[in-house]
Amino acid sequence: MSIDTGAIDALVGDGPAAWDTTGLIPVDVLRKLGGMGVLCAEVPARFGGPGADVFASGELTAHVGALCSSLRSIMTVQGIAAATVLRFGDREQRRDYLGQLTSGRLACVAFSEPGAGSDLAGIATRIRPADDGTGDALVSGEKMWITGAVYADVIVVYGLFGDGPSGAAAVVPTDAPGVRIEQVKDPLGCRAATHSRVVLDDVRVPARAVLGGGGQPLPLLFTTALSYGRMSVAWGCAGILRGCLAAATADARTREQGGSPIAEHQLVARHLAELYTSERIATQVCRHAAEQWERGAADAPVAAVLAKQVAATHATRGAATAVQVLASRGFTDGHVVARAYRDAKAMELIEGSTEISQLILARHVLDTV
Amino acid sequence: MTAAQGGTGSDSLEKELTAFLTERTGTEPSAEQDLFSTGVISSMFALQLVVHLEDEYDIEIVGPELSMDNFRSVRAMSALVQRLQGAEDGSRAG
Ligand SMILES: Cc1cc2nc3c(=O)[nH]c(=O)nc-3n(C[C@H](O)[C@H](O)[C@H](O)COP(=O)(O)OP(=O)(O)OC[C@H]3O[C@@H](n4cnc5c(N)ncnc54)[C@H](O)[C@@H]3O)c2cc1C
Repeated sequence: MSIDTGAIDALVGDGPAAWDTTGLIPVDVLRKLGGMGVLCAEVPARFGGPGADVFASGELTAHVGALCSSLRSIMTVQGIAAATVLRFGDREQRRDYLGQLTSGRLACVAFSEPGAGSDLAGIATRIRPADDGTGDALVSGEKMWITGAVYADVIVVYGLFGDGPSGAAAVVPTDAPGVRIEQVKDPLGCRAATHSRVVLDDVRVPARAVLGGGGQPLPLLFTTALSYGRMSVAWGCAGILRGCLAAATADARTREQGGSPIAEHQLVARHLAELYTSERIATQVCRHAAEQWERGAADAPVAAVLAKQVAATHATRGAATAVQVLASRGFTDGHVVARAYRDAKAMELIEGSTEISQLILARHVLDTV
Repeated sequence: MTAAQGGTGSDSLEKELTAFLTERTGTEPSAEQDLFSTGVISSMFALQLVVHLEDEYDIEIVGPELSMDNFRSVRAMSALVQRLQGAEDGSRAG
């Protein structure tokens, strides 16, 4: 695979601080990165993607995560969209949609609803064949907190198929009649990723927009999508820790108080040791999960939950530690450790909150140990 | 790596699948039992099952093959695996 992180760094530049305060990433930056295949790097070369393996894709995600969690969140949702198409799309859908997703078109993914957050079994959105002989499908429902919807050309909508109980995923253009996108104001973190309420009012799409024709087991749709998301978030958290470690170390080396660099004060040195430990733990748990995927191990989805859980809790703690080391120097919006402090918290809520992840891990233990 | 090079009889396939489900879920389903309505296939387990089948039988289960009907019971899954093995052998030969 050929992803040049130098080209990414050049495009990103010192943008993330301003993106955080304005709550927006310039969309041409996203389209350029999309056209480079950076936003969904695991898409195979035969579909126009970089064909990164899970390790290279993970390290790329961590690299971007260290620069900007908002941008990394856009990568996460574009990657989830691609993973969903790759798994559930038929031949022609894979060729068409994966081509789009690697040539600058942007996607977001919509699971969550007012009545279905942690418990996705409660979703009410429906994707049903129109019974008017057109062969079209109608998509109706309300989705919450959709990352990147304001940038997106298409929304991958997950819902019940017909009257259920099976599910479906449909690729809905954001400019289709009946789609309404309302941005959430002033989110705590990942501000430039943007989050929106998306209302779908009998949106008509052609039958070929329903991946694989629909009718898949709902749990399979969710877990496939969330597993990709969990790996991406986990690597992104390793990146948050790398960014925090670099900032805290640089500051502790140069800032002098009490006659010496603060790094020479043992209590500050301990902060650095803890940050380093967290970064190493997060990286190793991500690598472990990547190995499980690489070898097709049946417990790979559980390893992804473990990675997300461990990396997110360490990132949340590590970001607070970094703010502690920089003190006033890191205490303004836009600063890398201030962003990390707010952004990391979101990682304990999404793709399975800390509590939901713990329930999954406990279930795994009870079933297998 | 695979238990099933050269094709597997449906009886032994059903036995292998039943053993895997029993080991992973703690309950032994009958061949016709609806695995979704009886709660054998949980959210996490659905994907684990697909990953396992792909690896164990050297097949790729994508697109329309992932319909709920193909995973509803041990018998349905066994038929799916056999069909996909046949298809892949055919495409390799051709
Ligand atoms: C920054 C951000 C980005 C997001 N992006 C997207 C997106 O792109 N697409 C999308 O579809 N959604 C997105 N979401 C929504 C996200 O998936 C949900 O917020 C998440 O699933 C949690 O749901 P909830 O907020 O309704 O919390 P709730 O489900 O109401 O949970 C509230 C609290 O109760 C706990 N809890 C709930 N059930 C249980 C239980 N059974 N046992 C123990 N504890 C429990 C939770 O852990 C949590 O602490 C995003 C959210 C955020 C914050």
